[in-house]
Amino acid sequence: MTAMTLTEKIIARAAGRDAVRPGDEVWAAVDLAAMHDSSGPRRIAGILEQFGGRLWDPQKIVLAIDHFAPAANQRHAEIVKLTRDWARARALPQFFDSVGVMHNLLLEEGLAHPGTLVVGADSHTVTAGAAGALAVGVGATELATVLVTGQIWLRVPPTVRIHFEGPLPDYLTARDMAMEVLRRLRADFAIYKAVEFTGPAVEGLELDERAVLANQAIEMGAKNGIVPPSGAVLERLGPAARAQGRPLAGDESAAYDDEHRIAMASVVPLVAVPPNVDNVVPVTALAGLELDRVYIGSCVGGKAADLRAAARVLRGRQARVPLQITPATRRVVEEALRDGTLETLLASGAIVQAPGCGACAGLHSGLLGPRERCLGTVTRNFPGRMGDPSAELYLASPLTAAASAVTGRITDPREFL
Amino acid sequence: MSGVYEGRAWVFGDHVSTDQILPGAYLDRPMEEVGTYAMAGLDPTFRSRVQPGDIVVAGVNFGCGSSREAAVMALKQAGVAAVVARSFGRIFFRNAINNGFPAAIVADTRAIRAGDRLRLDIPSRALVHLRTGETTPLLNLTGTSLEILEAGGIVPFTLRRLGAAR
Repeated sequence: MTAMTLTEKIIARAAGRDAVRPGDEVWAAVDLAAMHDSSGPRRIAGILEQFGGRLWDPQKIVLAIDHFAPAANQRHAEIVKLTRDWARARALPQFFDSVGVMHNLLLEEGLAHPGTLVVGADSHTVTAGAAGALAVGVGATELATVLVTGQIWLRVPPTVRIHFEGPLPDYLTARDMAMEVLRRLRADFAIYKAVEFTGPAVEGLELDERAVLANQAIEMGAKNGIVPPSGAVLERLGPAARAQGRPLAGDESAAYDDEHRIAMASVVPLVAVPPNVDNVVPVTALAGLELDRVYIGSCVGGKAADLRAAARVLRGRQARVPLQITPATRRVVEEALRDGTLETLLASGAIVQAPGCGACAGLHSGLLGPRERCLGTVTRNFPGRMGDPSAELYLASPLTAAASAVTGRITDPREFL
Repeated sequence: MSGVYEGRAWVFGDHVSTDQILPGAYLDRPMEEVGTYAMAGLDPTFRSRVQPGDIVVAGVNFGCGSSREAAVMALKQAGVAAVVARSFGRIFFRNAINNGFPAAIVADTRAIRAGDRLRLDIPSRALVHLRTGETTPLLNLTGTSLEILEAGGIVPFTLRRLGAAR
């Protein structure tokens, strides 16, 4: 038997082969196809008509309204309406109407199963790699062909392993882990590759935090990011993981394209400086830089774990600059309400908005004006990502974001922990 | 499709994101209109100066970031014939091929200057830099991606594939 990495095993299973090797091109059976209001019906309805309008398997299709809700103008409202009408006309069983970001819903609702192939019309589809799925992003037209055929062609990527040694210190989050990878290896090291995250610091991460590593794989250029399910996460994913002999881990002797070891003790709180995700420096190098506001939200930075981390810093403290929070999903708000996080955040002066992509998609709910300076937990800091191209968007962990909100300046969270 | 494209070079740097090629502010527009905003986040004069048949040249990781297909469509509608780079964001690359838009990888693009004439010759697997006469081999556009490109995109490709299966 050929030894394979987890990503290779999942592709082999999906392609109905005993084994695959990096560079092989295969047609693979898709287990789950996902899209949202931006990439979904408005872009694909016409294409589906060319194929007779028939869907391959409505049970395996997920549609979420997350980008354009709450609608900021008439154009947005029309897109939301078109999306909802399309889903209703087909009685789509997995339709999420303005209750959260597609990527987070795939994990929260237990739709992305370990060892399966998930294809989504959005670059951050990779987030589902947190559940041990092979999750890849595509464009809308390609997703339309998947909705018709249930298949996608894949070139088997070589796998790069990132091994995090030692426990995660309490002043760091998975966002710092991902930024440390980007700092060391830069934003294009994994183009056309898979990135697998392993090691003691990863084993201890809850699903929300694993989602950060998988999510940020796209910013490393990767085809997919994957965290082999383990510990409490494996327990949580258990029933789905045990189904039909799906792969949960790679072979011990599998060949990696490259391996990098990162000792957590050597990592400090980090900030990604505009205009690039890999322009990463220690927070201490920017300490004191004045901010216009702080934003906590998006698929990568608006999860329950992110809100809890922010609350650790904000408990008993006041935000000195506007602190806007966009929870990733409605359930994040429920959880934050249940465990007291929401009360802490509101008491600090934070504003909590409707769940969804929020400002991170660059469409509404708090875009940045010319030269406005913001620190956010969002996905990307590219020029124009979240408003005016001249705005300065710094990326950091929710701990650093909360500490910076308290002082109104970029601040090391260790000062408050 | 002949697969040979000759045109003027527009030169951009490394890590040009789809947020720059087609900013989020225009994501709510119908796909037929996005060409109006091509490169709006990087060079607001691009749209008025680009000529049909021009070739966009970039460094590493062109089209990184968002999966928005409108980034490819904006360049295509603006008249750009092809993109040549040292590497692509993989979703941008797939979106390009899926829409019959050539996205070619060569080892180095740094000698190419704005306005230089280039010939991208896919059948010969070469990029010819007509100012210097230098010929550089293409490093991608093989296998399935080439088949999809030659079919004119993933929709005609899939229609044919389903027809063949029947």
